[in-house]
Amino acid sequence: MRYIPSTKEQQEEMLKDIGVSSFEQLIDNIPDSVKLKRKLNIPSALSEFELEDKISRISQKNANFQKFKPLVGAGAYRHFIPEAQKALLQRQEFWTCYTPYQPELSQGTLQSMFEYQSYIARLTKMEVVVPSIFDGASATAEAILMSLRLTHKNKIIVSTLTHPHYLETIKTYLAPHNINIVEISFENGLTSLKKLKQTIDEDTACILVQSPNFLGGIENINEFSDIAHQKDILLIQVITESMSLGLLKSPGDMGADIVVGNTQSYGLELDFGGPHNAFLATRKKYIRQIPGRIAGETIDKDGKRCFVMTFRAREQDIRREKATSNICTNHNLNVIASNIYLSLMGTEGLYQYSLLNAKKAHYFEKKLLETGKFEQTYKYPYFNEFLLTYKGNINNLNNILIDNNYIPPLSIHKFYSDSFLENTFLFAITEIFNRDELDSICRLLSR
Amino acid sequence: MKLIFEKSIPGRAGFSLPADMFDDINVEEILPEEYIEKGKKYLSEVSEVDVVRHFTRLSKYNYGVDDGLYPLGSCTMKYNPRINEKIAASNNFTKAHPLAPIELVQGSLEVMFELNKLLCEITGMNQFTMAPASGAHGELTGILVMRKYFLDQGQKRYKMLIPDSAHGTNPASAAMGGFEVVEIKSNENGTVDIDALSKAMDEQTIGLMLTNPNTVGLYDEGIEQIEKIIHGKGGLLYYDGANLNASLGILRPGDTGFDIVHLNLHKTFSTPHGGGGPGSGVIGVKSNLIPYLPTPLVDFDQENNVYVFKDVGAKSIGMIRSFWGNFSVLVKTLCWILSLGPEYLYQASRSSIINANYVLTKLKDYYKPAYDRFCGHECTLTGREYKKYGIKTLQIAKRLMDYGYHPPTIYFPHFEPYADETIMIEPPESEGKEILDNFIDVMIKISQESKETPEILKSAPHVTPVSQTDDALAVKQAILTYDDELQNKDKLNYSKENINF
Amino acid sequence: MSKIIENLYYSKNDEWLKDEGDNIGLIGITDYAQDQLGDIVYVEEIKNGTKLNKGDVLTTVESVKAVSDVYSPISGEVVEVNQKVIDEPSILNQDPYGEGWFAKIKMTNPDEIKELMTSSEYNDFRKE
Repeated sequence: MRYIPSTKEQQEEMLKDIGVSSFEQLIDNIPDSVKLKRKLNIPSALSEFELEDKISRISQKNANFQKFKPLVGAGAYRHFIPEAQKALLQRQEFWTCYTPYQPELSQGTLQSMFEYQSYIARLTKMEVVVPSIFDGASATAEAILMSLRLTHKNKIIVSTLTHPHYLETIKTYLAPHNINIVEISFENGLTSLKKLKQTIDEDTACILVQSPNFLGGIENINEFSDIAHQKDILLIQVITESMSLGLLKSPGDMGADIVVGNTQSYGLELDFGGPHNAFLATRKKYIRQIPGRIAGETIDKDGKRCFVMTFRAREQDIRREKATSNICTNHNLNVIASNIYLSLMGTEGLYQYSLLNAKKAHYFEKKLLETGKFEQTYKYPYFNEFLLTYKGNINNLNNILIDNNYIPPLSIHKFYSDSFLENTFLFAITEIFNRDELDSICRLLSR
Repeated sequence: MKLIFEKSIPGRAGFSLPADMFDDINVEEILPEEYIEKGKKYLSEVSEVDVVRHFTRLSKYNYGVDDGLYPLGSCTMKYNPRINEKIAASNNFTKAHPLAPIELVQGSLEVMFELNKLLCEITGMNQFTMAPASGAHGELTGILVMRKYFLDQGQKRYKMLIPDSAHGTNPASAAMGGFEVVEIKSNENGTVDIDALSKAMDEQTIGLMLTNPNTVGLYDEGIEQIEKIIHGKGGLLYYDGANLNASLGILRPGDTGFDIVHLNLHKTFSTPHGGGGPGSGVIGVKSNLIPYLPTPLVDFDQENNVYVFKDVGAKSIGMIRSFWGNFSVLVKTLCWILSLGPEYLYQASRSSIINANYVLTKLKDYYKPAYDRFCGHECTLTGREYKKYGIKTLQIAKRLMDYGYHPPTIYFPHFEPYADETIMIEPPESEGKEILDNFIDVMIKISQESKETPEILKSAPHVTPVSQTDDALAVKQAILTYDDELQNKDKLNYSKENINF
Repeated sequence: MSKIIENLYYSKNDEWLKDEGDNIGLIGITDYAQDQLGDIVYVEEIKNGTKLNKGDVLTTVESVKAVSDVYSPISGEVVEVNQKVIDEPSILNQDPYGEGWFAKIKMTNPDEIKELMTSSEYNDFRKE
């Protein structure tokens, strides 16, 4: 078999050198009662061309997604990924290698981590960046656990306008820890600051707010920060659409203590939901409580600048049950992918693309309202994702879009029981749509 | 090598813009001023050519499995088949939005459904969830499932038994799951001490987390007794699947009494390590635990002939991540299993066990094995006899780099009587005999160097892009971003002339 | 060969205690301990006035590759903290028996000293 080089003859030689007459002698300490006495009941090996054919047939059962553009975001956004990034990621040294425990053989990985940490620090105006936790949801849960370790309190306040999967994940991670999770509802598409002020107390460890929130609205993080810091509460901002960081004010400047960002928008494919990636950024004073791996700068014995994994004493292999997190393998290759993406985009590119996202989304909303078939659900500032109430038949909307190769916007009412939100749809528009296309979608929907 | 920021030149660009920049929309009209960043956030300014050169060069500072042997114990660094990469990269898979209506993603759902069937058969379990993103993530998920199961029975159990040989993620995951860790000592054979286990197991203990073969590569023959002890007191048996490469087609954890298993798809199932992920740590359970799995699962609706997402139900632990799983990793796993079939899955394990025992046999006179017995798919040797020449195992590892090898695992395991002088070698089935012979020769040579010219080990490595790193300095100076470096320019003391590109 | 000082008392966890008289005990870690840890980079803050039982954690010491709890070998109250070692942890590697002390404890039960090892007993203990 082409992935198993040693021939039968070579294996016989090795067995002889080991001093056994058969392979079975090497495993005779395994009780007979547990050994499989039959072949595994799975299909026989496929040749490479048969494999390609078989899986290709399966993939054809999906829509032709190259053509099918999504009008939905909700935590996963289709952005343009430059070909140079894809080509660089093909280099086997980036993806067939192991975790950079041996820095002498891993400067490619480690320097990429360091550069990426630097980019994210600048985008968020935070000081310390953990470049990779699996996704926004688990990273948010880790951020909350971190805030509990820092404050030794047991109540957290979360906005209902946090991504539903993230809220679920938080509850799952916190289940063993007897923590009071209080959800704050919203008004006019934004988290209710009034309710927040009524809910905070001395027992509150942190306030979690997503901005732009799940309905697309941009929250007033400065206000959240003022409220939080009056009572020594940590403010955690969650970002599911990192493209927004190219245009919007940095969380660090608005008083966030911990920032969690889903970075799928930085050069990562949708991939049916994963693997994506998320960063956790915070202040230097909290560094000993951060979860996950981080790269730092040092010198080698010849005085050369180099990079190593650092502050390792927090991690599971050293601290075991006292580790800040159990995280070991993360989503490192996606750190490199996003680092390359940000290098190609640069200062100007990320800014211009971010601007295009905002402008195209607002243009599209305007055009949709002009069809007369839609109404603004709320009036709130948003980046590239917005909610609209549809005045027509929902099924017709979905069908007509699918027939014309668009993934429909997200129907929101399944997440919020508010009857006001029946017939609402969450649209997301990124740079990949041009003006003609947006106009023609509106024409489709105006029939 | 220079950082990308040091190559930045104002005015350079690596991106392209469309002609229509929607100038008819004014940003001041659509967004309140106080929400917009004043000025731009400075990242870097480099051209596409600069970026391609930068990362091409950076990649050459890494060492991948395609470069050569990676004998890392417990990591299973095997060949990552190219056809799997190509198939996972098809647009119909990569551009599928996770919230697309299910009739548009029947192919993706079929991948997940078929993979579940295959993994159940390979491991002897009844249902897998594809949600966990890594082994440790799978451990946490599994522990939360176990926890919910006992809560549902009205039982209050608060302890978890973990062998002292366990990988660090085991106790870390147990702690995250809210359990008190009780460490079980290993006996002189390197396996779980049955007496100690029997004394520790009680009705306040949720169960035992076990890797089998264990983290020193030995099959724990006490598994039958272990199973009786744990189940005897109503506990659950958790299987850490990191070492499954020793068992494919030979035995199935589900047949040996395990109630819940996690697999490391990026180890046993050939998906790439990526320098630290993304991998996947899918977990499989026996029927009685299915109601507690994270939601949703992929099911096939016979009536309507369609794949669907099925809600697990009220007893589910909930979600442990957003969306459904590390899908591209699942595709690659499916491809690998279908490429090997039953006959070659067995050959993979068989070959890896022969490889490990071959290395053990050839090196045992130079590096005394931790245990004098045949090993599984990895062997644990020690470098203790070189202490008297002033050589630590770490230095043997660094010297290996001069011969073009990535070192084996040396930081782990940590338990007595091994302390920190272990060398754990795992040569997976994708390593041919001549590679092993070459590695063996080099290890023997280094053992001679340890006695005759220890200085060359102490100053190793010599041929790598950088040599021994000052890890203590990294913590002390805490330079974690380029801006940290800029702010500390006067305190830094690296010799700039080594950085040319 | 790691250094052992004569007139100190030693615990099984490699801490040393110096009896300064007047029921004041000085606590540090031994040469063996600092060698095992490697380059020490961090010492957790110790608060003046902290009350400890014998065996309680006094502080935590972190090196590049390991973390170790430092246990108080006797019961008492912290009356003085060596801020130098918290600010400059490498002192523990350079001078574990001199400048590398953590805290002064006002002992509440001086008899506990009898439960510790003498320098020759510690020497035997660590030799194996």
